[in-house]
Amino acid sequence: MKRAGEVGGGPAASGPVYDGPVLRVTGLDVDIRLRRSVVHAVRGVSLEVAQGETVGIVGESGCGKSTLGLALAGLLPVNTEVRGSIRLGDRELAGVGERDLRRVRGTEVGIVFQDPMTSLNPTLRIGVQVGEALRVQEGATKAAARAAAAEMLDLVGLPRPNEQLDRFPHELSGGMRQRVVIAAALVCRPRLLIADEPTTALDVTTQAQIMELFDRLRQTLGMATLLITHDMGVVAGHADRVFVMYAGREAETGRTAEIFDAPRHRYTAALLDSVLRLQTERKSELATIPGRPPDLTVAGAGCPFVPRCPAATAECSAQFPPVSGSGSHHWLCHHPAVQDEDSRVTEAPR
Amino acid sequence: MSMENVTTVLSGDEAGGLAEAEASGGWLWLRSFADNRLALAGLVVVVVLTLFSFLGPLFYHTDQIHTRIGMETLPPGTGRPLGTDDVGYDQLGRLMVGGQTTLEVAFGAAAVAVLVGVAWGAVAGYLGGFVDALMMRIVDALLAIPALLLLLYLSAVFQPNVLLLIVVVGLTAWLVPARLVRAEALTLRSREYVLAAKTMGVRTPTLIGRHIVTNSIGTILVNATFQVADAILVVAALSFLGLGISPPATNWGAMLSNGLNFTYSGYWWLTYPPGIAIVLTVVAFNLIGDGLRDAFGLDTRRR
Amino acid sequence: MTRFLVRRCVQALVVLLLVTIIVFGLSRLLPGGPARAILGVHATPSNIAAFNRENGLDGPLPAQYWHWLTGVVTGNFGFSYVLNQPVSSLLAQRLPKTAFLAGISVVLAVLIAVPVGLYQAVRRGRADDYAVTTVTFVLYSTPAFWVALLLIDVLSVRLHVFAAEAPQGSFSAIFSDPGAMVLPVATVTLVTIAAFSRYIRSSVLDQLAQDYVRMARSKGNTSQAILLRHVLRNALSPVVTLLGLSLPFILSGTLITEQVFNYPGVGLLAFNAATSQDYPVLLGTVLVVGIATVVGSLLADVGYALLDPRVQLGQEAGSGS
Repeated sequence: MKRAGEVGGGPAASGPVYDGPVLRVTGLDVDIRLRRSVVHAVRGVSLEVAQGETVGIVGESGCGKSTLGLALAGLLPVNTEVRGSIRLGDRELAGVGERDLRRVRGTEVGIVFQDPMTSLNPTLRIGVQVGEALRVQEGATKAAARAAAAEMLDLVGLPRPNEQLDRFPHELSGGMRQRVVIAAALVCRPRLLIADEPTTALDVTTQAQIMELFDRLRQTLGMATLLITHDMGVVAGHADRVFVMYAGREAETGRTAEIFDAPRHRYTAALLDSVLRLQTERKSELATIPGRPPDLTVAGAGCPFVPRCPAATAECSAQFPPVSGSGSHHWLCHHPAVQDEDSRVTEAPR
Repeated sequence: MSMENVTTVLSGDEAGGLAEAEASGGWLWLRSFADNRLALAGLVVVVVLTLFSFLGPLFYHTDQIHTRIGMETLPPGTGRPLGTDDVGYDQLGRLMVGGQTTLEVAFGAAAVAVLVGVAWGAVAGYLGGFVDALMMRIVDALLAIPALLLLLYLSAVFQPNVLLLIVVVGLTAWLVPARLVRAEALTLRSREYVLAAKTMGVRTPTLIGRHIVTNSIGTILVNATFQVADAILVVAALSFLGLGISPPATNWGAMLSNGLNFTYSGYWWLTYPPGIAIVLTVVAFNLIGDGLRDAFGLDTRRR
Repeated sequence: MTRFLVRRCVQALVVLLLVTIIVFGLSRLLPGGPARAILGVHATPSNIAAFNRENGLDGPLPAQYWHWLTGVVTGNFGFSYVLNQPVSSLLAQRLPKTAFLAGISVVLAVLIAVPVGLYQAVRRGRADDYAVTTVTFVLYSTPAFWVALLLIDVLSVRLHVFAAEAPQGSFSAIFSDPGAMVLPVATVTLVTIAAFSRYIRSSVLDQLAQDYVRMARSKGNTSQAILLRHVLRNALSPVVTLLGLSLPFILSGTLITEQVFNYPGVGLLAFNAATSQDYPVLLGTVLVVGIATVVGSLLADVGYALLDPRVQLGQEAGSGS
């Protein structure tokens, strides 16, 4: 049990020092029970995040990345079923009761959501909301929480933090509000920060500023970060490793450079193809991925990307691909792509 | 108190694909509505009661014009499923006739309220500015006077018949749809397709009719059902206060108030049949209204 | 906040003015003109002419209105020939009683409906939520007079617990016989709760679906803390506005209740006036109630402004970044 004033995160105060990955997910399944069907939002996901590392989770809308984030933060609603393992440090989170989950929230795991406009309670002052986790989890006094809040606001780069404490959310701009949300999520110094589309609702300039803030905070506070986004550009500039998701499943994982230079999974390749780059010929057509995302209520046996994949074969429909690759780069594809010298995808040798 | 059950189910976005909704656009609401069992039940009740009131007399003939002395307040028995009332009318037959009037006035008043209210609100919202402010202040002023009080006055001045009752009740009820449609109009008038139509020279009345009103149809429909429910209760209250229509015409509210005079004599068939009919019908319309509101995905705070 | 309040006050004044115009218009609806309607069928032309002269009804319409309006502002609401008293004194006697009945009932209704609504929202979809919803639904769909009479039947006649008639006489009579007030207050309270609880429940549910609730949960708050510290305040402000808007509805319910329980308030006064065709009293009541509602609405808006900081600070958008 932490004493008031002592912040969470980092190695435990007593016992052997744990220095494995901050987060280790193994075989995670998340099913959402709807009125007439079951949505298999996440299937068989395994990933790891080391201390101080930023892992980007990318995929299109509806691929399950937000559900994954909520599962890791222990915030799934009641109509969900979770199977598999979520280890935060040396503690297992999957299947744990609400009371224990509550203790983890804010202290070990902080989460930042997409829309800063609505993530803050419009009738409570900023200072109260930023210091809230401290008061709830560590029984801090109002004064102590307020001081910690001011410190956090300074850390996230808000000018004149002491003045901001008494203001209301609607008095701040979008960028400032997102900083406040980040401050609130980090006030207990959690060891894992989950950021679900943190910049999607912001304009481009503010996006850059917030991402810079994340980088800075990572250096100062040393927390591990899960960056959930559909924006490849954000991932390219700020993630150490990338985890590509499609239809609730892992498609490819690797260091950022590996993924961007040599994508193997057909989906990753198509995604990167569709991103506009400086080298793209001016008059060429915008590449898109044909078709639509699959219906997640159907738990198919084969690879979910088959309907939209240029290299799909009967084998792909019949069996979900095994993990291939080595070192830090893995992919789950029967017919992975191969790049030529110009980094254009060509057909892989069969 | 556990709250996990109220945190919203993850949105359709995460559910992926178009699992639950195959049809798109226009008639989606009908399907949503059909999924709502309570709303369907309400619809069934309304249909059954309407058929009962209007078609019933074709199968079950009773004399609803001449009173019959010596046949008063007979309990239910052979030939009289619901007994007779205090002047000898067959109660079941009376329930049918009363139902006709109740439903006619309720639908009629709702129609008047919706027509007037939609027109007023759409014009005010679309034109905006000073005209809107003035029109809405008028609505505020009329809203400030309790409908029943206003109706009390109007019924004292004009002897009510069915048509007049429809008009009068409707004229106290148009204020809410006016407000609702005005709010919709304010949002809709800055939509691009409205601006586009305007630049193409479409004339204002057409603009209002074709764009503003048709796109508010969800709100209007929902409110219309609640109007019917409210009208039934208002007419019942008026009848209780003695300001309804005069016999031999009747409505469920009048039957109920009349029957309540005899509570202590134990003539339950004079109060419960009309009373239950009223409650059933009002509940049914409210359920339909709620169902429509959910089906259209409207703000739950608007009626 | 001042800007908001000033704007609301100006609006209220305009509405008040419009109310007076409406009431004036109503008085002109009387068949044969106000004079004949008030003086009755037996009035002679000279009576009518004298009446018109006295009451400023012999000029052009705007002048008539002005004459009437200045009278109202100085407290002259007309004269009741049926009860042989100035309307203003009748209203002065009866208004406090209606205000008391409505006031107590509203306070009780809010004190009961808010916790119930919160409870329902939290227990959404469970059996007790459905039970409460069903009860309030049925209550809402039952004519108020039936509710009143059922209460009388059960609690007064069969169980002999409470009186069936409200205390008569002066205002202090209410306090000397509080038992007799129970049923009337209960009726109006029940009717008000029925109307409110659906809105409170959906208001709370709306709030629970908001992102800030998810944010609060992510900090480790318990459900109770989230409800009380975060949701309640946000869910209450629309309810306050709703209260202001519902005043006419509550007063209609009060009217029926007064008639059933013979409670000597403004509602009963209006009812008796309607049956005895005492138009000055009726019109006076309509005017006074209209004014009271506008003022009540304004007060509700003040309450709303106090609850919602976005209004207090004029909803200014953030400055700087």
